[in-house]
Amino acid sequence: MTAMVKAEGVHKSFGGVQVLKGIDLEVKKGEVFCLIGPSGSGKSTFLRCINHLEKINAGRLYVDGELVGYRQKGDKLYELKDSEVAQQRRDIGMVFQRFNLFPHMTAVENVMEAPVQVKGLNRSAARQRALELLDRVGLGDKAGNYPSQLSGGQQQRVAIARALAMDPKLMLFDEPTSALDPELVGDVLDVMRDLAESGMTMIVVTHEMGFAREVGDSLVFMDGGVVVESGHPRDVLTDPQHERTKSFLSKVL
Amino acid sequence: MTDKLDKGTDDARPATVVSKDDGPAPGAPAAIKAIPVRHYGRWVSAVIVLALVGLIVNAFATADKIQWQAVGDYVFDSTVLAGAGRTLLISVLAMVMGVVLGVILAVMRMSKNPVTSWVAWAYIWFFRGTPVYVQLLLWFNLALIFPVLNLGPLYKDEMVDVMTPFMAALLGLGLNEAAYMAEICRAGLQSVDDGQTEAAHALGMSHGKTLRRIVIPQAMRVIVPPTGNEFLNMLKTSSLVYAVTYNELLRATSTIGSTSYAVMEMLFVACIWYLVITSVFSVGQYYLERRFARGSSRNLPATPWQKIKANMTAFSRERSSTV
Repeated sequence: MTAMVKAEGVHKSFGGVQVLKGIDLEVKKGEVFCLIGPSGSGKSTFLRCINHLEKINAGRLYVDGELVGYRQKGDKLYELKDSEVAQQRRDIGMVFQRFNLFPHMTAVENVMEAPVQVKGLNRSAARQRALELLDRVGLGDKAGNYPSQLSGGQQQRVAIARALAMDPKLMLFDEPTSALDPELVGDVLDVMRDLAESGMTMIVVTHEMGFAREVGDSLVFMDGGVVVESGHPRDVLTDPQHERTKSFLSKVL
Repeated sequence: MTDKLDKGTDDARPATVVSKDDGPAPGAPAAIKAIPVRHYGRWVSAVIVLALVGLIVNAFATADKIQWQAVGDYVFDSTVLAGAGRTLLISVLAMVMGVVLGVILAVMRMSKNPVTSWVAWAYIWFFRGTPVYVQLLLWFNLALIFPVLNLGPLYKDEMVDVMTPFMAALLGLGLNEAAYMAEICRAGLQSVDDGQTEAAHALGMSHGKTLRRIVIPQAMRVIVPPTGNEFLNMLKTSSLVYAVTYNELLRATSTIGSTSYAVMEMLFVACIWYLVITSVFSVGQYYLERRFARGSSRNLPATPWQKIKANMTAFSRERSSTV
């Protein structure tokens, strides 16, 4: 199996602060890959590098064998044009901690927007597909509601449907349940579990250790901009090898 | 008086609600019946304000020097109507110019190109930093320093022929407005959360589409109310183009005033028309704001007509409950 995402010595700094200090990892196709770690460890930043919302300063990052944000010719690297970056992002879905639904559009309009505007799908076909996706995340009856009329958990499920509408080959989840009431977390995780079972490649930054253990195929523990420990979630979570992993897990589990 | 009416409806509503259900639930606590606080201060202040208003009205009504007849005669005078029309025309055109240029300036100001952003800054600095009256006179007198307008092979003409009162008025008001609109647009665009742009980019939308489909519609909610205010201001500021001899409402009425010895009366006429125009546009602005409020609150604010209907039904409900 080939890698969906491959990172080689990825560095990223904001101003003078180094946030990622050389990340090497590989995400296989069809895998649910969980990133855990304390806040400020760089896991969200790494996720945002994957679809070029952040530019990396050093190293190489590949999605499906393609360099992210750059083109290599000989030993020279060329920055991609905005339109080419947009082209790359079409295939990568992203779900944000704060949902970021478009507040001036109804749920179904949120889901339709990118297929119509980016792929040029006609509106009735896009609406049909959007309604199916909303049904799939259990919100078929909320299609006409504006985001402000939905609960946090419902908004996040609409956001997942919105990302799925572009038929991505990779889904990025940036702490998708961190802004939710504990009661609403389960619904979102259920949708993500279904998605994992359908074979979607997913990279999930999360604090939900239960989800990571149950659904995850690989898990990486990051701290201070480096990968401290990686392996199968069950092994890392039950039998951590590093002191730092042990002390982190003892606080969150 | 209104106090009592309000209390009436408040008492009536729960009563009807209760009657709709099958009476109070058994064991429900008895509703509180307390003597309301008396607001004597409200009565005193109402009387004082009413007395003052009465004095002013009386002063105008009994002033026998005011020729009310003249006000009535000239309100629909053709010269006055033409002046009001020109006020409307110059305000709308200057506003359109201001909005278009303002959007361009806002984008220039926010651009990563230091040259365009600096030029936009300098423009805003000059046109906001000098009085619009002075700017109008600058345009009007441009022929003093540039007698000929020479655009190479494209256009060449005497400046006095180009810079008519209309042109001076349009440029003076429009270019000044652009500086203010630029800042309003910039504030609006910056008010939209960065997460919106990120979400749109993550879906593969281009910069242009993100701006047009996601950012601008949300920015409009912030941009529309001050723009409406700017337009109402423009309607009134347009009276300054009196100075560049453009024959708008104020100039039309004053000309009549000085020949017919009805100076104040003609100013009243001008006020009436300014109020009519600004009132009409205020209503339009209300509906425009309502349009862009979609999604920002759970319920849209009621239209005036909906409010009237709601009040009517509330009134009839109150009556039926008292009968």
